[in-house]
Amino acid sequence: MGLSETHGPFDGTLSIVYECPVCSHRIAMLTNRAETQMVRSLGVKIGGRQTEAEPMETLRSSLAVPRDGEPEQAASRSKCPFTGVVSEAFAAPETPEFEWMPEAKARIEAIPPFIREMVQQNVEEYARQHGYRRIDEAVMDEVKGALGM
Amino acid sequence: MKTYHDIASDGGSRILEQVSAQQERLTARLSSVRRIVAIASGKGGVGKSTLTAMLAAALGQQSCRVGILDADLNGPSMAHMMGVRRHVPIPANGSVSPALAANDVAVMSMDMFLPADSTPLLWRAPSQQNAFTWRSMVEMSALRELLSDTDWGKLDVLLIDLPPGSDRIQNLADLLPDLSGVIIVTTPAAVAQMVVSRSITLATDVAGLAVIGLVENMTSFACPVCSHQQRLFPAAPDTRSLAEEHDLAYLGSIPFDSQLARQLDHGRCFVSTSPDSPASRAIFSVARSVHTRLNL
Repeated sequence: MGLSETHGPFDGTLSIVYECPVCSHRIAMLTNRAETQMVRSLGVKIGGRQTEAEPMETLRSSLAVPRDGEPEQAASRSKCPFTGVVSEAFAAPETPEFEWMPEAKARIEAIPPFIREMVQQNVEEYARQHGYRRIDEAVMDEVKGALGM
Repeated sequence: MKTYHDIASDGGSRILEQVSAQQERLTARLSSVRRIVAIASGKGGVGKSTLTAMLAAALGQQSCRVGILDADLNGPSMAHMMGVRRHVPIPANGSVSPALAANDVAVMSMDMFLPADSTPLLWRAPSQQNAFTWRSMVEMSALRELLSDTDWGKLDVLLIDLPPGSDRIQNLADLLPDLSGVIIVTTPAAVAQMVVSRSITLATDVAGLAVIGLVENMTSFACPVCSHQQRLFPAAPDTRSLAEEHDLAYLGSIPFDSQLARQLDHGRCFVSTSPDSPASRAIFSVARSVHTRLNL
C-alpha cells in the first residue's frame, strides 16, 4: 500500500488514505482527536525523536499565545508511513476544514443560540458530503432546500 | 501465525524511551542541586508565594545558593515579586538561563514565557472543549521542562512554589522522587487549618514525603508606629497544636505587614530593605530553622 492522500487535520483529526498500487484498493486510517492530543501532551514526538529535545520545547511550542519569536513544533521524520504522516501534519498550524463566507456566517449568527451549533453542524455535514470547502449563501440555500427548511 | 502482540508497536515513536529520556534529563539537571523543597499548603491565599520569595532572599543572605521555581503555571507571580518580570529566557547550549534576583536568587516562572500580564495560560489544541482530559498532562510536561531545561547551576536549595490544591503535592512527588521535603504554610484561620491538615496527611501518608515543618503566616498585625502586634484571628485555633497533632516541627509565625505586600508588588526585596521589621525578623528566624533542618 502506498500513501495516496491526507485530509486534515480538521478539528484535531486526520484521515490518511493508502492505495494498493496493483488493484487500487484503498484504505483509510483516522486519528482520534483525544488520543492524539493526549500523546502530544506528554511532550514526546509522534514518529520518534531523531534529535535532542530543544530547551522548553513542549512548553514553548504548545502555548496558544506565546511571546513573539517562539518556535513552531518541528515535525519528526519516521520510517512508519502512518506516524510519520501524523507527525508532519500536526506540526503545522491547523487550517479550518471549511471557509465560511461572511454572508453565510451572518445567516448562521442570526439563528437563536440554542440551535445555532446544531444548524452549523448540519450545514458542514452537507458541505462535507458534497465536497464543498467554501460555505457561501448558495450552499446555505442548497441546505435549506435539501432539509425542507 | 503472528498474533497481535507480534505486530503491535507504537509505529516507531518509541514513546516509553522518550519518556524515560525526559526523566534522565531531569535527574541530570538536578544533580547539582543539593536540596529540593516544595512550599505548599493546599489552601489558596495563605501566602505560599510570599513565604517562598522571602525565604529565598533570607537564605540567600545566609550565603546559600538558592533557586525558585514558580510551579503555579496558571497564576504565576514569582517573577513579578522578585523583580524579574522582564527577563526573557533565551535558549542556549541545551538550556535557558534563569533570571537572577536580589541576593543572587535564580528564578524561573511561566510568567517569562507569556507576552503580557493579561495573557492567560492556554495551550494549543484543536479545541479548548474538554481540555480537562489533557490539560493537567501538558502542564506536568511544562513543569518538567521548567525544572529540567533551566540552567540552575550549583544550588544549595531549590524552592518550588506550588499552586493551591493538595493534589499538587502528590503530582510533584511523582515527578521528583528525590524531593527533600515540603514546608507547609497556613494561616490561623480555622478553615485554612482544616484544609492544611488534609494536605499534611496526603503529603506524609500518601505521597510519603518528609514535611520539614509548618509555618503560620498572617499571625498578627504589626503596628507600623510602635510595632505592637495584634492577632488577626483572635479566636483562631493554635497552629502549634496542628503541628503537634501531625508530629511536625513548628517553624515559626510571620506577622502581616502591609509594607511587605507593597514591596513585593514592586518587586523589591523586603528582608533587604526592612531587615529590622517584625516580619523580616520572623522570616529570618524561619530561614535559620530551615537552614538547620536541611543541613545546608
